[in-house]
Amino acid sequence: MLARLANQRPLFRRADAPALFAGAFLAVPILAAIIPGILFGGGEAWTHIANTLLGTYALTSIGTLFLTGLLILLIAVPAAWLVTMYDFPGRGLFEWILILPLAAPGYVFAYAYADIMGVAGPLQSLLRDVSGLTARDYWFPDIRSLPGLATVLALTLYPYVYLTARAGFISGSICTQEAARSLGASPTRTFWSVALPTARPAIIAGLALALMEAAADYGAAEFLGVPTLTFGIVRAWGSFGDPAVAARLALVLLTLILTLTWIERFSRGHRGSQQSSSKWRPLARIRLTGLSALTPALFCAAIALIGFVLPVGRLIWLSMEASEHVAPVMGAFRNTLILASGGAALAFILAVIVALTIRNASLSSRFARLATASGYAIPGAVLALGGLFILKTLGLSLTGFAALFILIWVYAARFASAGTEPLQAALARAPVSIDHAARSLGAGPLKRAIKVDLPIAMSGAAAGALILFVEVLKELPATLMLRPMNWDTLSVKAYAYASDERLAAAALPSLLITLAGLGPVLLLSWRLSRARVSDRA
Amino acid sequence: MRFMPPLAAVAIIALAACGASQDASTQKTAVQPNGQKLNIYSARHYDSDRLLYKTFEDETGIKVNFRESGASQLLETMKAEGENSPADVIIASDAGTLYRFQDASLTQPIESDTLTSAIPPHFREENGNWFGLAKRARVIVYDPARLNPKDVDEYTDLADGKLQGELCMRSSTNIYNLSLMGELIGRLGEDGAAAWTRSVVANFARPPQGGDTAQIESIAAGECSAALVNHYYWVRLAQSNAPAQRALTEKTRLSFPNQDTDGTHINVTAAAVAANAPNKTAAIQFIEFLTTPEGQALLTTETKEFPLVAGATLPSGLSDLPDFKESNYPLSQLGAAQAQAQAIYDRAGWN
Repeated sequence: MLARLANQRPLFRRADAPALFAGAFLAVPILAAIIPGILFGGGEAWTHIANTLLGTYALTSIGTLFLTGLLILLIAVPAAWLVTMYDFPGRGLFEWILILPLAAPGYVFAYAYADIMGVAGPLQSLLRDVSGLTARDYWFPDIRSLPGLATVLALTLYPYVYLTARAGFISGSICTQEAARSLGASPTRTFWSVALPTARPAIIAGLALALMEAAADYGAAEFLGVPTLTFGIVRAWGSFGDPAVAARLALVLLTLILTLTWIERFSRGHRGSQQSSSKWRPLARIRLTGLSALTPALFCAAIALIGFVLPVGRLIWLSMEASEHVAPVMGAFRNTLILASGGAALAFILAVIVALTIRNASLSSRFARLATASGYAIPGAVLALGGLFILKTLGLSLTGFAALFILIWVYAARFASAGTEPLQAALARAPVSIDHAARSLGAGPLKRAIKVDLPIAMSGAAAGALILFVEVLKELPATLMLRPMNWDTLSVKAYAYASDERLAAAALPSLLITLAGLGPVLLLSWRLSRARVSDRA
Repeated sequence: MRFMPPLAAVAIIALAACGASQDASTQKTAVQPNGQKLNIYSARHYDSDRLLYKTFEDETGIKVNFRESGASQLLETMKAEGENSPADVIIASDAGTLYRFQDASLTQPIESDTLTSAIPPHFREENGNWFGLAKRARVIVYDPARLNPKDVDEYTDLADGKLQGELCMRSSTNIYNLSLMGELIGRLGEDGAAAWTRSVVANFARPPQGGDTAQIESIAAGECSAALVNHYYWVRLAQSNAPAQRALTEKTRLSFPNQDTDGTHINVTAAAVAANAPNKTAAIQFIEFLTTPEGQALLTTETKEFPLVAGATLPSGLSDLPDFKESNYPLSQLGAAQAQAQAIYDRAGWN
């Protein structure tokens, strides 16, 4: 819609320079990763994969995405609605506890759930002990399957939608909701006819982030053995020794994701709501008592239990039970924090520049946004290949500053999109009239971006920066490949133990990743709950 | 406030660089560091390898730097680094992988009397492009309550129709399965290997999933009654501190297949000197160290691989295993057949 407000403009203006620069910077590793796939990815291995497996990979990916998306919506939207609109026992606790899975990487939950649900795990062992049956005598849900993978991914990724949905419900249209209520609409009717439609863009934005993350997942799919496209990418590279074929598969994945994004945007069309007023005040929550309070409390408790307490509890149990030797992890902890801070800082700067292009329809801005979105949909393993290509072009070895910088560059290209989202959401909530006012006062595009949009966007800065930090913290494949020599990180340690089939030893570094992510996530949660009571223009 | 991120980025990169250089300068060694160093690219990731590096450092004064990553990742890294690569030694956990490094001209032939006399010819590349250091057997683990040893004493038994619904397997992508298929292609021919694969897939109790340990767990739980595993996963469980893990091995047995024919499939952990090794002398010295009794013990005590050098101490738990006939199939050919092996698995629907 904003695009249509823009007048005919030249292809490039000086004000486009930051966007062009940020876009180009983010695009370098992406193009370096993908171009070999186009040029050299058509060998014998590609023919074999295209003939025998590509269909399976694509369908498995689509199926996983669909199921993950569905589960996320079923978990996150009701949860966000309940904690925002109602008061019930434990609400204050659930409000922030439901964000916690954001701190845990998908592969960590995959380890935990593969153990809990596995044939030798506590549930099935108990079942056999009690019943006297053997494993072939009964049916048990298989975690190492497409639905299992989708469940694990949904449990770690639903907080994205929970966060955006909550923000959508809070800031979307309190006045309209009050109007609806005063006209006698039931809370349920208000939800379906007023709150959900207005919060829809926020929910979709969160869902898009979560699904891109799910599509690029490597650790969980590999560990659970579900043949998604990303799994196929790793296989093409590992078994056929052909990274160019891996890159070509990544291109298929990217096309799939961008198509889904475009379909979503197209289906949204011109709909959407525009707040004409920025007047804002808290909506009184409906107090629930007795039986009616039980359902929301149980629903939220179940999510918290299944989505966080159970897997983390199992990991704690495993790491205590493991009397086996685990290498000291403090060095790994330090390295992880250094990489996460560096990666998040660079990604954040780029995310700010890209976010400010939201009001801008120039070619440069579109390019920057496309580059950002693309990076998020490409598996880290493939982007890391792009990093190697840069290294090769510059004639460097993977040591010292070069290694660190390339790794942080790859992080930025991979995750900038996650940081852009909260900034853009902040901008989108501000009335366009502010921008128009600045324009009528004669402010140029660059000045408007810096003086008007930047301060507004910065209200989403904490969320953006924290999400970026946690994302980089959890990253595995690029870190595994590009980290400097002698460097362990927590994700690398966890992966090393898990791939050596020592899950108990993997539990400790896995827990530490989650722990390191908890701080930022709690901070994020705290800021967001304050946002509800603090007024802001 | 808004200038913080760039500043923070610079500060953090600087901090990281300091951290890295600090790592390089702080060490407690028995022999004084002599300024020499050695850069190891390893596809293994055992804690015991760190002790191995440390011991070598202490005994020689040569500072060891390491990069531990997946074999494919290391290969691409070395290709990208080209002549600038700091890699001196490449360690991989199977011969097939080292074949790929050799094929990409990333290794160099080494002449060392110590190595040629310590390592039997079958376990090293004929020109010295890589040297096997520890070996492992791919065996059949089975449920003695449901199967007789005779039912599973050949790899081809797994394709027998009477085992329908009895097999658990891990993914074919795994290098152990790819290497075994490499040998089967050589022994049975491509068509024979493909037919074997189809029959094995028809015997699956469930789709391939989990690692080798997971297959042992499945058999112990009664989900199936036979699977292919490396011997050391079973031995590690048998030697575990956790009673639940030891119980898994009480319910299962190992069969070393093909004793009356070609022998059990063997693979090796091996090392090579990188083509552009900046510290070639130290690299050879390190690989030679790995063939000493001390080096062999450090290499195999945690992993439970079989030491390869005569006279080396056997890690605990291995003496309980029977002596067995090893296959003498050329290890280099396992790597050469890898893509073909994956294609056969793919066509048979073995994930």
